[in-house]
Amino acid sequence: MTILQLTLNGLALGAAYALVALGFVLVLNAAGAVNFAHGDLVMAGGMLAVALAPHITSFWPAPGLALLPLVLVLMAALGLAVSWLAYLPLRGRPHVSVFISTIAVGIILQNGANALFGGEPRAAPPLLWGGTVALGPLVVSVQSLAILAVAALLIGAQQWVFARTQIGRRLRATAQDPEMARACGIPVTAMILATFALGTAYAGAAGLLLANQFFVTPTAGGDLILKAYIAVTIGGWGSVPGAVVGALLIALFEVGVSAVLSYPVALGALYATLLVILVARPQGLFGEAARRRA
Amino acid sequence: MRRFAFPILLSLLAAGAAHAQPVNVPVLVPLTGFLSLEGTSQRNGALLALKQAPAGLTVAADVVDTGTSPEAAVTALERAAGKPVTAVVASMLGTQMLAMLPLAKDYGLPLVTVSGTASITEQGNPWVFRFFPGDAVTKAAHARYVVEDLGRKRPAVIYQTTAYGQGGKAQLMEQFQKLGATPVFEEGVDTSAKDLLPVITKALAANPDVLVLHLHSAPTALFIRQAAAHGVGVPIVAGSAMHQPSTAALLEPAELKGVCAETAASPVSGGSPEVEAFTAAYRGAFNAEPDAFALAQYDGVRMVLDAAAKGARTAEQVRDALAKGTHKGLAMTYASDGKGNMAHSAVIVCYDGKTRVPALVKRYDSLTGAVK
Repeated sequence: MTILQLTLNGLALGAAYALVALGFVLVLNAAGAVNFAHGDLVMAGGMLAVALAPHITSFWPAPGLALLPLVLVLMAALGLAVSWLAYLPLRGRPHVSVFISTIAVGIILQNGANALFGGEPRAAPPLLWGGTVALGPLVVSVQSLAILAVAALLIGAQQWVFARTQIGRRLRATAQDPEMARACGIPVTAMILATFALGTAYAGAAGLLLANQFFVTPTAGGDLILKAYIAVTIGGWGSVPGAVVGALLIALFEVGVSAVLSYPVALGALYATLLVILVARPQGLFGEAARRRA
Repeated sequence: MRRFAFPILLSLLAAGAAHAQPVNVPVLVPLTGFLSLEGTSQRNGALLALKQAPAGLTVAADVVDTGTSPEAAVTALERAAGKPVTAVVASMLGTQMLAMLPLAKDYGLPLVTVSGTASITEQGNPWVFRFFPGDAVTKAAHARYVVEDLGRKRPAVIYQTTAYGQGGKAQLMEQFQKLGATPVFEEGVDTSAKDLLPVITKALAANPDVLVLHLHSAPTALFIRQAAAHGVGVPIVAGSAMHQPSTAALLEPAELKGVCAETAASPVSGGSPEVEAFTAAYRGAFNAEPDAFALAQYDGVRMVLDAAAKGARTAEQVRDALAKGTHKGLAMTYASDGKGNMAHSAVIVCYDGKTRVPALVKRYDSLTGAVK
């Protein structure tokens, strides 16, 4: 029964990580460069939810649910601003320029959050309500179930948009070969901006969901960008399904392996696995893309 | 490093100011980075003490953010030393303190801090004064409460894998051994760990009679929340992070029921009219709840100001007053042990499940005996 309980916890954590990794890989594909501010954008989503919550809690029974679309929209706008300021002016330059500019954006977000909210950990409201429910012998937090549902919904929606809609095909074309896409009449810059908006909106959703169960601090982004990077490396650089699988694998190590061994050993095992994958299968588990790692 | 616009001359120009030369106490603390929460408390405690300086003293205070790098702290100290300095409120970050100590010795500047890092008072440097009890004090109280008051002999110890966590865990183990208690489980948890159910599950499998935590703020709250969700009935005695009002704010009062914690002080719990006045003044000045760091730094600066009010005008005279004197502060009575360790008391607080304000349940002074 303990194994089931831990599996459920691991799945919920992996689902939140998957949202983080998904936003990261979308921008990576569209822009061809790593957005090192992505972890801090997740943090910003959490802080945004914390800041908006008091204005909604008083008249809405499930403030987290009401906040979710608001956070998605506002974070999408932030994503546009980030791409405008930190990507577009530099996209003709060497990739390292974009790395540095996104690192700068991350530091600005961290210090901005610290100045506005202080350094203490804060909790966003739950998506529906707090507490737990009993599923037979299992005790499951309602928020964990909500994370699973929202992650499944957003990932499913993203897959549907990419596979079945014209804008999705344009986004994919831009990600696969921007020059050819431009030659075909696709507005590549607009597609890149849309991807930044979408990826950052996903970061915001992840931030809102994580900030309830695991709290949020201004410095929380550093750990999250590392996990997103590892997830994408394990899953396959540029692979969207790979990012999701990589995120679930990280959560499996954090929850499953640490339940058998210890957390430090689980972390060591995760990095050892990463090294093995890099050596034995450098393209990652779903290594369809042959993009250069940053 | 960020320099603030406060060279606020906290002009306490009480009628008949006796001294033309202001008492200059630069406040060099981490206001950004991973220690910004505690550093802000440290700053606020210092500023409140300066604001309430004894009549007749004119006080000046530059506040400088040292971030988290040793270089920034050293630079801040070098810049502060450019003017006559009475004493320095120095960073609570151990690595910054270790970097500042040689410079403080060269310049002859008393460093008044609430850093918990044991080694800062083991350098043979006569210019450092720590107004927060070190792990040797707080963990002694922690272990004694578990063993002597709760009568538990099979603790499971869960600690952070940081230097803070490992140092506290080593002290806990030593204290438990002295008290004849044998930990049945011990495990370090990384600060990035999101789900603590694995460690809770393993700890409970070892059949402990108490869960002893030495974790940072968010992991403490996470552990307690998950333990409550899974109906863990074993009592929890946490480290000082639990007493911080910002930690309790992350949890519902019901989740805190029965949880206890060690700390140097808990100003929000009251205990005396003076402490309640401090808490009210702190809330009024900073719109925040004070914690033990704020109160300890307040006490430290008050001791400096009292020395100045009694005629200590130079840094050396202030150092001598701190090294040889006794100060009845709000949290405890402070006196140096010869190495600059000024604080030798700790308290235990417990939550009743109805509010987020803990009650003081036990006080340990000088670790020679418990006095309720």
